[in-house]
Amino acid sequence: MVTARGLVHAYGERLAVDGVDLELGPGERLALAGPNGAGKSTVLRLMATLLRAQSGSLEVLGEEIPGGARNARRGIGYLAHDPLVYLDLTARQNLELYGDLYGIDDRDRRIDELLDRVGLLGRAEDTVRTFSRGMAQRLALSRMLLHRPRLLLLDEPHASLDARGAALLDDELSTATADGRAAIIVTHEVERVARVADRLMVLRAGRVVLDEPTTGLDPMAVRRRYEEVAG
Amino acid sequence: MTDGPTRIPGQRAAVIWGALATILVVVSTIGVFLIAPEDADQGIIQRIFYFHVAIAIASLVAFAVACVAGILYLRSRDERWDDVGEASIRIGLLFSVLVVITGSIWAKASWGTWWVWSDPRLVTYLIVVLIYAAYFVLRSSAEDDRKMRYSAIYAIAGFASVPLSFYSVRVAESFVHPVVFTSGGAAMPGTMLGWFVVSQAAMIALFVALLEVDLLGRRSERALRRLAMRLESA
Amino acid sequence: MRGRQLMALVRKDLRLELRTRETIVAMVLFAIVMLAILQFGFGTRDDDLTRFVGGLMWVTLAFTAVLGVGRSYVAEREQRVLDGLLVSPVPRTVMLGAKAIAIFLYMTVVEIVVIPLVGIFFVKGPYWDAIGWIAIAAVLANICIALSGTLFSGLALFTRARDLILPVLFLPALVPVVIAGAGATHAVAGGPHDMSEWRGYCLFLLAYAILFALVSVATYDAVFDD
Repeated sequence: MVTARGLVHAYGERLAVDGVDLELGPGERLALAGPNGAGKSTVLRLMATLLRAQSGSLEVLGEEIPGGARNARRGIGYLAHDPLVYLDLTARQNLELYGDLYGIDDRDRRIDELLDRVGLLGRAEDTVRTFSRGMAQRLALSRMLLHRPRLLLLDEPHASLDARGAALLDDELSTATADGRAAIIVTHEVERVARVADRLMVLRAGRVVLDEPTTGLDPMAVRRRYEEVAG
Repeated sequence: MTDGPTRIPGQRAAVIWGALATILVVVSTIGVFLIAPEDADQGIIQRIFYFHVAIAIASLVAFAVACVAGILYLRSRDERWDDVGEASIRIGLLFSVLVVITGSIWAKASWGTWWVWSDPRLVTYLIVVLIYAAYFVLRSSAEDDRKMRYSAIYAIAGFASVPLSFYSVRVAESFVHPVVFTSGGAAMPGTMLGWFVVSQAAMIALFVALLEVDLLGRRSERALRRLAMRLESA
Repeated sequence: MRGRQLMALVRKDLRLELRTRETIVAMVLFAIVMLAILQFGFGTRDDDLTRFVGGLMWVTLAFTAVLGVGRSYVAEREQRVLDGLLVSPVPRTVMLGAKAIAIFLYMTVVEIVVIPLVGIFFVKGPYWDAIGWIAIAAVLANICIALSGTLFSGLALFTRARDLILPVLFLPALVPVVIAGAGATHAVAGGPHDMSEWRGYCLFLLAYAILFALVSVATYDAVFDD
């Protein structure tokens, strides 16, 4: 689903990502961890086609990036720190906008279904400005899932989701493997994510210092493994 | 590491173009002021025409180079094209300011006033100066990749604005300006035309020479920075 | 698909505007204040400024355009939604088109107020017969303003001091539009009543619109391509 070779991205003179290789197959759920400034979010934004690598090659969902970015975007679900919705539109209007941008055929039915799942159907006609942070992030979750993405890119999802949203996300991630969907979960709460991920990658100063499966390991063991390499 | 001084690529080109530009500027100055025939109507002041028009055209060449460099930058994302674009616009802007100044002097001599809004070239170049001065404002307020990308886009859009500015001041405009050079060709005697061609060549050579020197400076600076970084890490 | 995306983006901008009414109200008020300032700025308190009608109208409209264009991406920037649009499979040219349509509509609303007001305030000549010709020139000028405005507001979006950068970038590019808009208005309402001049300026506006459409389509991908 993702094949990255020698990805480099610098902000001016400051190297954020320094030669990252990454291979992600269908059904894999990768926890991407590392200390602050290690380049986790930058890697995620490169995968999301929001940033362009200065060198290296990247293929997302079978599309060469940046050339095939628009096709790849159809299958990417991106959850950021910000909910990426308009505060002065209602929950439904926001999802209608995204439904049209993704060209979803059963837009209205799909919106009802998702709003119901994230528990916002009763607030569908209220503007997002009136929502709590947790509610806005649950709306973001439904925005991310609206177009049935095959690759989920999550930037510290547990930091901003409330309990209900987190449970929904975990549920979504646990069914991902069976459906052949893949996910990259950027996190600094390694134990938390270890429960839903089956592989751990650790970045330090823009480089991969660890990349190994964690299936069968208990969360505390994953945490110890992380601390060994993250320093 | 290396025995002798490191040679920066482009040094030879800068020297050659510098020499060529110097020779041409000297020759054209002598020709324009001492050899070319005096204009019957306007007298000595007409001689400013050789520079005024030649610089005007050279500045357009500079902006065209910047536009092409912008396109190439967006294609390749190679910062050397950004260097070419910025250096070209810097020189083109300098030339445009000179066009406005020489045009103003010409207006004073011909009509007794420093500024005439009915002179299309003067007005056009004022707009051109404003367009390209904004380029540097844009550059100074963005960083890194964005700075180069935005500059490239603006160099392209700016170059589209130039012909628009030209035609906007000429639509339904009565030409008060002494037309020495009509669009159909030259309405001047052969020797005048000859010296005009020499001045034009001089100004374009001057542009290329300034561009080469500017690029040479940037390359040396970059080489120096690399050297410093290597020393630091050693 | 593109049509649906375009409509969705335009509908979004209009919905936001209808809910907040931030941009249009400010633009219209600003334009009226501009007209008053221009009158007082002449220092003559002259009732008949027919000769200057083109300039009065288009100076006002140009500055109002800067104000409106500056608001183009405010919701996306302040509420940080832009990444959501960028990560979706919407072509950047569709984003350009949607913003341009929004700016075009805002300018049209402003002109519906400004063009009659200019006649009432300043013109003692036969203004109302020419209002159709002025409207045609205004529509053409709006296309120019919308296209170049969208491009420059995209460039200014992530710069420091963007509120200062936008007028510095946008106004020089607007000079030809002001020349042509004012020229066309003057030709039909400023005294000479010269239809061939009006036609010349309108053709020029058309050429401007086509050229900037080409430049925008060719470069807009790169504006958001980080």
